[in-house]
Amino acid sequence: MNKTWLRSTVLAVVIVMLAACGGTTTPTSTVPPAPTAQSTANNPNTPPPATPTAAAPTQQATASVVPATVVPPSEEASTSAEPSVTPAPTPVIVAPQSVAPGVTVVRWYCCLGAGDAPEQVAVETKAINDFNAAHSDIQIQGEFVVYAQAYDTLATEIAGGNPPDIVGPVGFGGANAFSGHWLDLTPEIQKTGFDLSQFESSTIDFFKVGDHQEGLPFAIYPSELYYQRDAFAEIGINEPPHKYGDKYIATGPAAAALNVSDGTAVPWDYNTARVLAMLLTVDKNDNDATQSGFDPTNIAQYGFEQQRDDLRGMGAYWGAGSLVGSDGSAQIPAQWAAAWQWYYDGMFKDHFIMDGSHFNDLTVWNPDGVPFCDGKVAMAENFLWSTYCMSGAGDNWDIAAIPAYNGTQTAAFNADTFRIWKDTKNPDAAFTVLQYLLGDAAGELTQIYGAMPAREELRQSFFDTLSSGFTLQKPVDWQVAIDGIDHADVPNFESPLPLNKSGENTYNESVSQINTYATRWDTTPSLDMGQQIQQMQQDLQTIWNK
Amino acid sequence: MSGLTIAQRTRLAHRPRLRKLKPLERREALWGLLFISPWLVGFVLFTFLPTVATLIFSFTNLNLSSSAPFAFVGLKNYQDLLADPQVWASLRVTFTFAALWLPVTMIVPFMVAVMLNSPSLRGASLFRVLIFLPYVVPFVAGVLIWQNTLLPDTGWLNEGLRAIGIQNPPDWLNDPTWIYPGLVLVGLWGIGGAVIINLAGLRNVPTELYDAAKIDGGGWWAAMRHVTLPLMSPVIFYSLTLGVVEVMQYFLVPFVLKNGTGEPGGTTYFLNLYIYKNFFTFQRMSYGATLAWLLFVVTLLLTLALFASARRWVYYAGERE
Repeated sequence: MNKTWLRSTVLAVVIVMLAACGGTTTPTSTVPPAPTAQSTANNPNTPPPATPTAAAPTQQATASVVPATVVPPSEEASTSAEPSVTPAPTPVIVAPQSVAPGVTVVRWYCCLGAGDAPEQVAVETKAINDFNAAHSDIQIQGEFVVYAQAYDTLATEIAGGNPPDIVGPVGFGGANAFSGHWLDLTPEIQKTGFDLSQFESSTIDFFKVGDHQEGLPFAIYPSELYYQRDAFAEIGINEPPHKYGDKYIATGPAAAALNVSDGTAVPWDYNTARVLAMLLTVDKNDNDATQSGFDPTNIAQYGFEQQRDDLRGMGAYWGAGSLVGSDGSAQIPAQWAAAWQWYYDGMFKDHFIMDGSHFNDLTVWNPDGVPFCDGKVAMAENFLWSTYCMSGAGDNWDIAAIPAYNGTQTAAFNADTFRIWKDTKNPDAAFTVLQYLLGDAAGELTQIYGAMPAREELRQSFFDTLSSGFTLQKPVDWQVAIDGIDHADVPNFESPLPLNKSGENTYNESVSQINTYATRWDTTPSLDMGQQIQQMQQDLQTIWNK
Repeated sequence: MSGLTIAQRTRLAHRPRLRKLKPLERREALWGLLFISPWLVGFVLFTFLPTVATLIFSFTNLNLSSSAPFAFVGLKNYQDLLADPQVWASLRVTFTFAALWLPVTMIVPFMVAVMLNSPSLRGASLFRVLIFLPYVVPFVAGVLIWQNTLLPDTGWLNEGLRAIGIQNPPDWLNDPTWIYPGLVLVGLWGIGGAVIINLAGLRNVPTELYDAAKIDGGGWWAAMRHVTLPLMSPVIFYSLTLGVVEVMQYFLVPFVLKNGTGEPGGTTYFLNLYIYKNFFTFQRMSYGATLAWLLFVVTLLLTLALFASARRWVYYAGERE
């Protein structure tokens, strides 16, 4: 090879590698300062370098080891079950002070859901220290990794043959990302005589996968319909029913819009909810969405908002279903397709749901990520964890039953728990720790996670503390949330998805594809939804066929 | 030797030969290596070895979402890559965007630098600071600000366009036709660094050459064409080379703005985003490594093409013949 060419090639290779090392992905003509290892590790948006480098950069994160001293719980315990906005440095290792020979160390891995906020880590640390002080034969070692990195870090630990013993709190979705790796607890339950009667049997069933009991109830988040009482009073219509099975009493404009006489009891379903939502959607000239002069480009208040983190969850409010058909192929449940069409029409045809351009508007419409919390929406379906921002929703809101579809009311359900790794070397010790986390530690932990305790005796205290965070004209009817448990979606919308033909877990890729459709539907008017839904089914099948 | 030209003989005579270092030179070389060793160690540990590792991974089945035992699979990942329609779609997206992005981000900083370098501009220092200021804002924060600026109804840009009579301004981030101009707008916000580099280059152009051009009757355009551009060509080449490398890695803006979905209509599904998703969402480490190597090779070929073309248009005043 010509030497000039050789020199040019070597120089080009070096430039490409060095440019890639710069850590920038912004195609400016200069290289901004490279992020530090810490900032890179903490940034979920940090892309992989263009130069082929080994995966799992999150492992470069610095570990802060917290000595096993008792840390008092924060006075401002977070009630958020969502990933924290101000995560602790990651990972935080809470190690036992000393481990004598013969003592079993159980590694607790957090946080695939809630638990990574500094104030939460403080309470988790206290729980560990309390356990370690009370047990001489078993010691807990905590590993707290921020949510944004927790999946990658856990996956890397598994790949490296170093999985933890206990993982949690983790929801169904998080657990399904590692499906097939959780221990069946049935033998441990039988061996220890663990008392299952402390939980509602329906909540125990949520964690069954076939014959396996892969989890036990810890924290649950039923759904409910949040609504602004003043918005209903202002236009002279009744509030939605609180009791599942009750009908809606249509009065005033609601009766007129529903074409029934004043005071008629009509089914509390999505047709009624649509009419109410349109009445409650008001433009800047005070016209509602049922009126001919309504201006959809100048809306002041929307009538309805669906929980839109996951299209499957949005479908589940219309009835439980699964994307996996009986023959293992991809399917779209009819009730989910109906829900998505209703939701899409609500945005772009009837205008009672904000479309993506308003939902993504972090300054005017949605600074908190839950539009109801900013008082811009009259009704919103959401999980109990959304109470973390309800203090911004004013002083006169309440919760009601979820509307019915085809005569069935379904309250989509989230639940977090702790799961034991299938290949743990210490299943007995891990189950002892699990009993502690579900038992003695559950009160404090569910409180900081903002989660309704699965153990009934802890609930009153939970709701008392939750209520104390709001200043309301009338106390919230929390019984609605409790009643929602009996209307949970079974199978859960976050149920496992099949392995592909190469034996790979398709869950993450499938959910990623579903999220693409969610973004598209939120932001694109005039779509043929029938075609879109059919295409989604084909896309899922393609992923599963790989 | 008799068949050689004078130039070739001169070059041979000046060619450095390997010789034994004197003790003082050896000591200096050791000190030099010692001072550079932190960078060398970091480079070897965090770039070179991982790069080699990904090459090895690309021949394996390493997948964190699979329980299959680790095994070498030969060229399977490369075969999968060739048959993967998303790879070609992502490459097409990357090149299409680069075709708009590169000219704009080359020309605009250059023109801004020319204006800042103008002797008739008053308050040039203030303008320099103002133009550089956005560059120091964390980029993710900047992108989020732009996300709101480009909103169709309440965004400042469209509010401004409506104020000047454009009643239906574009939906910058959701319309496939307008997404690339929208992304370019976001990127232009951070051109302060490029402006400074261009400005430094312009400051190095000898003013005598402009005087000579003036005496020869040349106007502004002639001076730009025959003086500024040739003398700035090394800076332009430098910016272009890095620009190509960086646009091939384009990731952060679409990832933040569109949550990594590739919307609208797949127009933001850049190759680097696909690599990221394979590594960190789908957990297909081997395939991600294979894609990363594809990106590396494509970027390398483009860079080589640039170097090959440089002989024709880059002028180095101090270059020896």
